[in-house]
Amino acid sequence: MRFAKKDIGQYLPEKEYIDTVVIPLVPFDPSSDKNMEKQAFLRELNQVFTNVIEKEYRGRIFLSPDYHYMSDGQDEEVERINQWIHHFREQPFKHIFLFTFDMKWKKYEKDIEGELIWVPGLQTGDLQSTETQAFVKEQAKEISELIQSYW
Amino acid sequence: MSDKKRVSRRQFLNYTLTGVGGFMAAGMLAPMVRFAIDPVLKTQEGGDMVSVASVDEITNEPQRFEWTIDQVDAWYESEVQKTAWVYRNDSDEIIALSPICTHLGCTVDWASNEEYPNQFFCPCHAGRYTKDGVNVPNTPPTAPLPVYQHEVRDGMLYLGDAISREGA
Repeated sequence: MRFAKKDIGQYLPEKEYIDTVVIPLVPFDPSSDKNMEKQAFLRELNQVFTNVIEKEYRGRIFLSPDYHYMSDGQDEEVERINQWIHHFREQPFKHIFLFTFDMKWKKYEKDIEGELIWVPGLQTGDLQSTETQAFVKEQAKEISELIQSYW
Repeated sequence: MSDKKRVSRRQFLNYTLTGVGGFMAAGMLAPMVRFAIDPVLKTQEGGDMVSVASVDEITNEPQRFEWTIDQVDAWYESEVQKTAWVYRNDSDEIIALSPICTHLGCTVDWASNEEYPNQFFCPCHAGRYTKDGVNVPNTPPTAPLPVYQHEVRDGMLYLGDAISREGA
């Protein structure tokens, strides 16, 4: 399920079945030329990943809107992320996963009130290439197995 | 000025009327012609058959085949990946089932649960379907898996739209 009118219409009456949220954590920093290209690539890669997972498990996983943040702001962001998580829990969602390629979150894992899934992403590449597609498929399968182990 | 080059009043009126009349006729006919050949100009949206696999690849065991189609809706044109579980049944007919669980739309897998090696299994809420795609009673799904329209041409399997079936 996504945050779209049609999906929400399906979600609300079937709430009891959809108990898992995936929140994509997407960093960006428009002040730095150096990082923009890489961050843009990782944002796209993140979307590809979460879309694959959402498509296979749409009857149980709700894909949250992306959580964007300035790439060095983890200290201040933890509190805001936890706010998101609290609001999702009120639905009630039972399992909350945060999906990111940004390794800086690893250090804050214990402060976050959801399960962090950090995947070392590709540094750069071509989303259309068969190599990237194989990588995404394989990793997405592993990740969904991880999520299933919580159900 | 010689007389030959002169255009008489009669000729002038003739030319003018033919010209104006021609324009009016064209103005009336163009939309009618456009209307008549409209189906030819229209771009196809769904409904057409796509070649998915060679017939030789299809066995008695359901296999997963994937292909992409262009989907156009009001705002986006996008490539959508489609999937089918395809096998030959006991009477040697090809069956192509949609993998979309009729409960809430997860993707079902063939024989992925060890306890039910001859059924389709939905990982989300343990919905099950028998090999012919009929939902197993007392599991969450309330309708069988949709069946793709199919066609065999030149040794290739073509799949069209998935047709929903009534609940068992």
